[in-house]
Amino acid sequence: MKQFLIGVFMTMAIMGVAFANGEKELEFWTTETQSDRLARINLLVDTFKATNPDFKFEINVIAIEENDLATQFNAAAASDTLPDLVQVATENAVAFGTQGLLNTEAATSMISNIGKDRFYSGVLRLNQMPSDDAYYAVPFHGWVQGIWYRADWFEEAGLNPPKTWDDILKAAKYFNKPEENQYGILIGTSAEAFTEQVFTQFARSNDAWLFDGDGNLTLNSPEMREAIEFYAELAKYTPPGPQNWRARDYYFQNKLAMFFYSTYIMDDLALAEVAAASLTSENFEELAGSSFDPNLVSNTGMVPAITKTRDAGYGTIVSLLFPNTEDDERTAAAMRFAEYLFTPDAYISFLHMAPGGKNPVLREISTNPNFQQDPSNIFERYGPDKMAEIIEGLDSIETFSIVDGKRIEAASTVFSKQIIPQMMYRIIQEGESIDSALERAEAEIRKLM
Amino acid sequence: MGKSLKQRESTLGWMLILPSTVIILSLILYPIVSNVISSLFKVSLVEKDTFIGLENYRNVVSDINFWKAALITFVYVVATTLGTALVGLGVALAMNRQFPLRGFIRSLILLPYVAPVFSVVYAWKFIFDPVNGIFMDLTVEKLGIFSQRFNLIGNPDTALWIAIVFSIWKYFPFTYLMILSRLQAIDNNLYEAAEVDGASRWQQFRYITLPELYFILGSIVLLRVIWNFNKFEDIYLLTDNLKVLSIYTYFKAFVGIIDLGQGSALVIIQFALLLVFILIYLKKVLKW
Repeated sequence: MKQFLIGVFMTMAIMGVAFANGEKELEFWTTETQSDRLARINLLVDTFKATNPDFKFEINVIAIEENDLATQFNAAAASDTLPDLVQVATENAVAFGTQGLLNTEAATSMISNIGKDRFYSGVLRLNQMPSDDAYYAVPFHGWVQGIWYRADWFEEAGLNPPKTWDDILKAAKYFNKPEENQYGILIGTSAEAFTEQVFTQFARSNDAWLFDGDGNLTLNSPEMREAIEFYAELAKYTPPGPQNWRARDYYFQNKLAMFFYSTYIMDDLALAEVAAASLTSENFEELAGSSFDPNLVSNTGMVPAITKTRDAGYGTIVSLLFPNTEDDERTAAAMRFAEYLFTPDAYISFLHMAPGGKNPVLREISTNPNFQQDPSNIFERYGPDKMAEIIEGLDSIETFSIVDGKRIEAASTVFSKQIIPQMMYRIIQEGESIDSALERAEAEIRKLM
Repeated sequence: MGKSLKQRESTLGWMLILPSTVIILSLILYPIVSNVISSLFKVSLVEKDTFIGLENYRNVVSDINFWKAALITFVYVVATTLGTALVGLGVALAMNRQFPLRGFIRSLILLPYVAPVFSVVYAWKFIFDPVNGIFMDLTVEKLGIFSQRFNLIGNPDTALWIAIVFSIWKYFPFTYLMILSRLQAIDNNLYEAAEVDGASRWQQFRYITLPELYFILGSIVLLRVIWNFNKFEDIYLLTDNLKVLSIYTYFKAFVGIIDLGQGSALVIIQFALLLVFILIYLKKVLKW
């Protein structure tokens, strides 16, 4: 008997060590994976902790790559280890919400705590649940996508800025010189989110919807088909193989005439200029490949909306969401920290992580003089009018999941499952016919509904 | 009372192995059983799971993508296993000879195997980058072997072969190490006797070296098949969309809206395939 007890105790002791977890910790998942941005978030956490000594929790900031977040979140839900606060693209937040994984009451009450009228209304609408006055998540910040192009090359060639489909294709053909290692345009050609972001803008500029206002699948409409054909044509003038936003580096190297990108590039261009300035050939004569065109920033133009039958812009709102952890104490603590992130100083400090890329969803912040004095001088460089145009653009972002003001939940599911980029990948990279790729995508979507 | 010493010793024995038995059961048996169970259900994250019998299995085998993934996996496993075994064998035979700096070179060969997969994958990606990579620069600009630049890793037709070459490059040092240690244990007298009998180099290899290496090669092949059949991180990090079974399962189970039931069914099918292979292999090749 004695031996038996010893055996049992030993087993329990070993299990106990494995499962011991005494610390009270809040998990905050963010898609800001860059180290300088994480440092900024941790600084905000420390400031919050210092000014709120009664706050009992440690805040553990976990960075997760954007493309992996939905996967990680689903895995956490399956294993009952959901985090307490997540910063994620609104489309994904809605997809989680429709699966019942979110504490929407927390989000809704936080929005009314901050004040509904202070948000841009279009931004709030993207987070709205089908029932009125309830929200999946709290909008946090946003970016706008557009075509960035070599204004000097265009001028020299006598080409129009890339706004209409015809002008875009003409310029892509003109500048595409693979034998000189120079390419016409960068659009997403890999099976991931970037492809969907770029494609959505083309589809909407031809008035194509994924679903109509009644929730019927309209993937196989003539407008959508036309958009797919045009996209596949443009892909021929993109650098070889599957490409995503990382290929924007080719633009910095003067090997690309146009690329789709968010307003995050404003900061990147400014940073590249700073970095290049410290690596000029005078300082590092033998360092080849570090050359950076000092005029690139001023030679870069941007077209925010493209046109076929109508103007279409695209962008993404990033939201803060509260997972359904069924632990009121933790959720309340997460809400308290989230509300702190919306106080002017903390909010502006957060947005200044990437001026241009992170734009406020609160109206009053966009005119706040502190916000307009950003460390990279983006406001000064692009002028307050251009910046106002970009921020205003947030209010009219179009996605497939809001049709005529109605929430189409299935569209967020399709986004989250990456069905559209997988379809484009098959067409562009595997040479599958548009008919058969469309048919497969339709079948996959129907299986989800 | 009444228990004999033998009985008491046997009880003590059982008690002593109890902790490890509990741990092994909870770490090995529980996941397998839990997997089998969830493969029979439509798993929902919020509501109750519904029992659907073999429906998940039917869905898996009726999906053309599953068979495509199975075929890719088969090619990958066969090519990488043979490749690592042959390259490892060749290098081990060479390294078994006397030459200057042998110790240094022997350890240098281990480098790909010990380098973290994450860093070597990105080095490979950079080498094969279509616009900035050195491979395209060399083959297109400098040597003119190809007429235009292309994306060797990204192109679905060539991605599989790059993944295979990568795997052989990364893992041949393991086979090499195992074979070399066996080679060093072969008695030199055998070769001397063979030479006296007039055996050629090839005959010495064929009738002495190879039979001596039989079981070590057999074990290496078995291990590599098991490892490469389940290989995930190398392929996932290196290529854009190469769906071997492990990656196909990952996409089914976890990406986007998740289907844990079908994911579990896929895992069980792979487990069964591997198990059948191992049993046949142990009996026929390793003669257990």
